[in-house]
Amino acid sequence: MTGTDQSSFLGRISIRRNQVNAMEGYHEQEIEDLELFQKQLSDRFAELLSAPDDGPTEAFLSISWIRKLVDVFLCCETECKAILLMERDAAQISKPPLDRLIPELLERVVKAMDICNAVTNGLELVRHCQKLAEIAVSALEQKPFGEGQARRAKKALVSLMSAMHVDDKESSVQKTAERSWSFGRRSGNKDRHHGHYRSLSWQVAKHWSASKQIHAMTMNLAAPRGPEASCLPAPVYILSLIIVFVMWVLIAAIPCQERSGLTTHLPINKHVNWTHSLASIHDKIGEEWKKKEKKGMAGLLYEMQKMEKLGQSLIEFTDSYQFPGEKEKLDEVAAQVAELAEVCRRMDEGLVPLQMLIREAFHRLVRNRTEFLDVLEQGGPVV
Amino acid sequence: MDECQSAIPAHDGDLHVVAAAHHIVKALGTTKNLSDDLRKILIDLDAHLSLITSNIDSKGGKGFVEVEERLKRVERKIVIWESDRIMIWDSGPKEVSDYLEAVDEVQTLIDSLRGLSMNENQKQKELLHRASSLLQMAMSRLEEELIHMLVKHKQQSEPTYMPSPSSQRNVVYNESVVSLDNESAKEASSKSSRSDECGEYIVDLVPEHVIPDIKSIAKVMFASDYGQEFCEAFIGVRKEALEQHFDILENGKLSIEDVLKMEWCSLSTEMNKWTWSMKIIFRVYLMSEKRLCDQVLGEFGSVNSFCFLEIAKTTILCLLNFGEAIAMGPQEPEKLLRLLDMYETLADLVLDIDALFSEDGGSFVRLEFHKLLEGLADSVKAAFNTFRVAVSSNGSLYPFPGGGVHPLSKYVMNYISMFPDYSSTLNLLLEDQHSDVASLVSEPQCGPTASLSTSCPMACHLRSITSSLESNLHKKSKLYKDEALQHIFLMNNLHYMVQKVKGSELRPFFGDEWIRKHNAKFQQHEMNYERVTWSSVVLLLKDDNPGSSSLSKSAFKEKCKGFSIAFEEVYKNQTSWCIPDPQLREDLRISTSLKVVHAYRTFLGRNPAHVDDKCIKHTVEDVEKLLLDLFEGSPRSLRNSRRMMKT
Repeated sequence: MTGTDQSSFLGRISIRRNQVNAMEGYHEQEIEDLELFQKQLSDRFAELLSAPDDGPTEAFLSISWIRKLVDVFLCCETECKAILLMERDAAQISKPPLDRLIPELLERVVKAMDICNAVTNGLELVRHCQKLAEIAVSALEQKPFGEGQARRAKKALVSLMSAMHVDDKESSVQKTAERSWSFGRRSGNKDRHHGHYRSLSWQVAKHWSASKQIHAMTMNLAAPRGPEASCLPAPVYILSLIIVFVMWVLIAAIPCQERSGLTTHLPINKHVNWTHSLASIHDKIGEEWKKKEKKGMAGLLYEMQKMEKLGQSLIEFTDSYQFPGEKEKLDEVAAQVAELAEVCRRMDEGLVPLQMLIREAFHRLVRNRTEFLDVLEQGGPVV
Repeated sequence: MDECQSAIPAHDGDLHVVAAAHHIVKALGTTKNLSDDLRKILIDLDAHLSLITSNIDSKGGKGFVEVEERLKRVERKIVIWESDRIMIWDSGPKEVSDYLEAVDEVQTLIDSLRGLSMNENQKQKELLHRASSLLQMAMSRLEEELIHMLVKHKQQSEPTYMPSPSSQRNVVYNESVVSLDNESAKEASSKSSRSDECGEYIVDLVPEHVIPDIKSIAKVMFASDYGQEFCEAFIGVRKEALEQHFDILENGKLSIEDVLKMEWCSLSTEMNKWTWSMKIIFRVYLMSEKRLCDQVLGEFGSVNSFCFLEIAKTTILCLLNFGEAIAMGPQEPEKLLRLLDMYETLADLVLDIDALFSEDGGSFVRLEFHKLLEGLADSVKAAFNTFRVAVSSNGSLYPFPGGGVHPLSKYVMNYISMFPDYSSTLNLLLEDQHSDVASLVSEPQCGPTASLSTSCPMACHLRSITSSLESNLHKKSKLYKDEALQHIFLMNNLHYMVQKVKGSELRPFFGDEWIRKHNAKFQQHEMNYERVTWSSVVLLLKDDNPGSSSLSKSAFKEKCKGFSIAFEEVYKNQTSWCIPDPQLREDLRISTSLKVVHAYRTFLGRNPAHVDDKCIKHTVEDVEKLLLDLFEGSPRSLRNSRRMMKT
C-alpha cells in the first residue's frame, strides 16, 4: 500500500484506457485491472490481519493500526474511483444496474460522512481520557509516594473510568449538566469522584444512532453475481463494502453516539479471494464486540482497553494504599504506571494525527460524492 | 535557591548573605505595605531559617518540632473546611486569604522539606508525607471551589443587545423557480437588515470581580503542580457553558444526511440561523472566552491556547459541519441569497478566526474554515449558474392568461434587485466567469467606454440574466395564437423589467443606455400591437375613391357594419387582456383612441347625409367610452349587451 504501488496502479489504468479504448479486448483488460486491484486489497487486509494482538507497536485495533486501516481506505477509494470513472464515458455509469447502484453508494457515502464526524467527536472523549490518565501517571510517579498522591491518582482514575463507561445514550446536554455539577457540599453528596466529569457534547444529531447508520448502509449491499461480478458493479460493491467495513470498525473501536445493537454481521461475500482477510478481521472484531458489548464500554480501541485494565488495577492499589507501602507492591505498581505512561504517550502521538486522518477521509468522501454526481449529471437525468 | 545557599559553607558566601540581609532590613524599614510577592518571599525565608536552625540544633528527629508545629497549625486551618458545607469563597475575604495563606505555607513546608537532603530521616519523611497529603486535600478542595465558582457565576442570561434569532429570520425568500407558473411571486422583502451586525461585543462571561478569585486559585494550583487538574475543571465548565449558549441560539443539531434531505423552507431557516450563530459565537462568545482565558491563564504559557481550543472545539465542529453540508448540497437557485449570506459572514470572520486560533494547535480550525470559505464560494457560483439556467429554461405549456406580467419576470426581477446588496462579493466571485459573459452580452455597457458600475462583473452577469429572461419571454410569447397579444405580453413584461431597474438599486448596474434601449423595445411592441389590432379595423373606414365627396348610402352602411363587427370582436377579445400598470394602460388607450376615434369621427364627418341612428351602431362617444374597457382583465361582450338593450 505504498505510494509508488498506487501511482503505478493508477498509471496503468490510465495508459490502458487510452490505448485500448477503441480496441477489441477492452473488457478483458478491465477484468485484469479489477483482478490486480483485488489482489492488492487482499494483501493490504492480510497485513492488517497480521498485526499482533498485544505488543508495543501496531497492535490489533491500536491507534496506529486504525491509522493504517484508514490509509487503506483512502488508497482503495482512489483506486476504485479510478476504475469506475477514469477515462470512462459517462453514459456507461448511468446505465442499469449502475443507475441504481451508484445512488445507493452515494447514500452510504453520506452516512459515512456523519460517522466520520461522530468518530471525530468520540476521539475527543479519548483525548479527555488521556488527560485524566496523565494526571494519574504524574501523581503515581511522585517520589516519595504518599497517601496524598494516592488520593490524587485515584480521583483522576475514577473520573477516567466514569468517562470511559459513559452510556452512549446519555448524551443530552441537560442530563449531563445535572449529573456533572450537582455534586458538592450543599447537596450533601460527599462523593467527589465526578470532579473531572465532562459533558458529552458528541451528538451528531438528536436520535442519530451509529448502529442504525451501519444497519442502513448494509441494506442492498450484495455481491454482484454472474457476469456482473466481473464488470462495473464489482468495484461499486467493493467500494461500498470497504466504506461500510471501515466505518463499522471505527464505530466499534472509538466511542460513538448510540451503538447499542451494532450489527456484528456484515454481508461479506466469502467466496471471493480478496475478502478472506477482511472477513477474518470482521469475525475477530465481531466476537470481541459481543464479549464486551454488555459491559458498556468506551470501545475496542487497544489503548483504551489497556487503559481500562491498568486503571482498574491502579484504583485497587490506591484504594488500599497506606504509607509507606510494601516495596514489592510498589515495584509492581511502578511497572503498571510505566505501562500507563506508555499508553498516554502513544495517545499523545497518535490521536491528533488520527483525527486529522479521519477528517481527510471525510473530505475525501465529500469529493468522491461530488465527482460521482458530476458524472451522473453528464450521463443523463439522475433519478 | 534553598539548596545551594544552605550548602555553601564558605566565608565569602556568608558575607554575601549578611550583606543581602542588611539590605532587606533597611528596605523593610521604609516600607509600610508588604506586597503579596514580597510577603511570600519573607515567609519562605522564615520557614527556611527555622528549618536550618532546627536542623543545626539537633541532628535527630527532635529538630523538626517547630516544623511539625507549623504543619499542625495549617493542618487545622485546612482540615476544618473539610467538614464544612459552606464554600470558602462564599464565606468572606478573610476566610479566603487565610486559606490561601495556609496552602502557601504547606507548599513552603514541602519545598523546604524536599530541599533538605534525605538522609534516611524518618521524621522528615513522615512530615513530608503529611504535608503532601494535606496539599492534596487542599488542591482537591480548591478544584471544587473553582468549579462551584465557575458554575455559580456562569452568565446564564442572553446578553441584552442580542436580537432574538426570530427577528433575523424575517426574510425568507422561499420561492422556487420551478413552481412559478401556478403561484404568483411575492415581492421579496429586502435582505436581512445589515445594520444589526453585532460587531465585536466582548462580554463578561464571568463577572469581572470573580476573575481575581479564579486567578488566585489558578496561581496556587499551578504553583503546586496541579495545573492539569485546574485545566480539566476549567475546560469542563467553560465548554459546557459555551454549548449552552450555542443551544440558546436554537441550532438544531443536524446530521449531514438531515441537511441534504431537508425541505427548502426549513433549510432556509437553518441557513439563517447558522449565519447568525456564526457571528454571535465568534464575535461575542469566542472573543469573550479568549479574553477570559487570557485573563485567567495568560501567565501560564501554552496552557492558555490549549484550554481555549478545548473549550471551543466541539461547538466549532458543529458549525463547521453544517456549513460543509450546505456547501456539498445541490445548489438550487433559491439558495443563492442564503449562500451569499453564509459566504459573506464567514469571509468577514475569517481574519478573526485566524487571530483566535493563531497557535499551532489551532491550525486545523483555521484550515478547515478557509476550506469551507472556498466551498461556499463555489456554491455561490454554482447557485448563480443554476439560477441563470433556470431563468432561460423555465418552460410553459400554456400561454399566460391575459398577457400580463409573467411570474417568472417578477421572480427574476425581484430576486436580482437584491443582488446589489452583495455587489462586492458577487463581483469578487464572478470575476473569473466574467469574460465569457461579457462577450455574451454584446451591449455597449460592457465596452471600454462604459462606466465602472455598468462594466463590473456583476453588472454584466445581471444583464446576461435579463437577456436570458427576455429570450425566454419571447419563447413564451409564441404560445399566444393572437399576434397582438404576443405584443401586449412582451410590452407588459419589458415595461415591468424597465420599471424594476429604474426603481431599485439595479439602476447603476444597468445604466441609462440599457433603460433607453428597453424603453424603445416595449414601445415598439406597443406600436406593433396597435398596428396588428387596429390597422385593419381603421382600414375598413378608409375612403375607397378619395376623389368623390361622399359614399353611397349602401356603401356607407356596409362600412359601418364592417367596422362595428370588427370593433366588437376586438372588444370581446381585448377586454379580457391585461395591462397591470395603470400608466401604461392609460397611454395605450390614449394612443389607440387617437387613432381609432379620430378615424371614426373623420369617417362619419365625411358622410353627414347618412348619419342616422339606424345604421350607426356606435356613436363616436360610445367608441371612446368602450375603449376604456380594454385591458382590464375582465371579458365583456357587446353583442350580449346590445341584445339585452333591444329586448
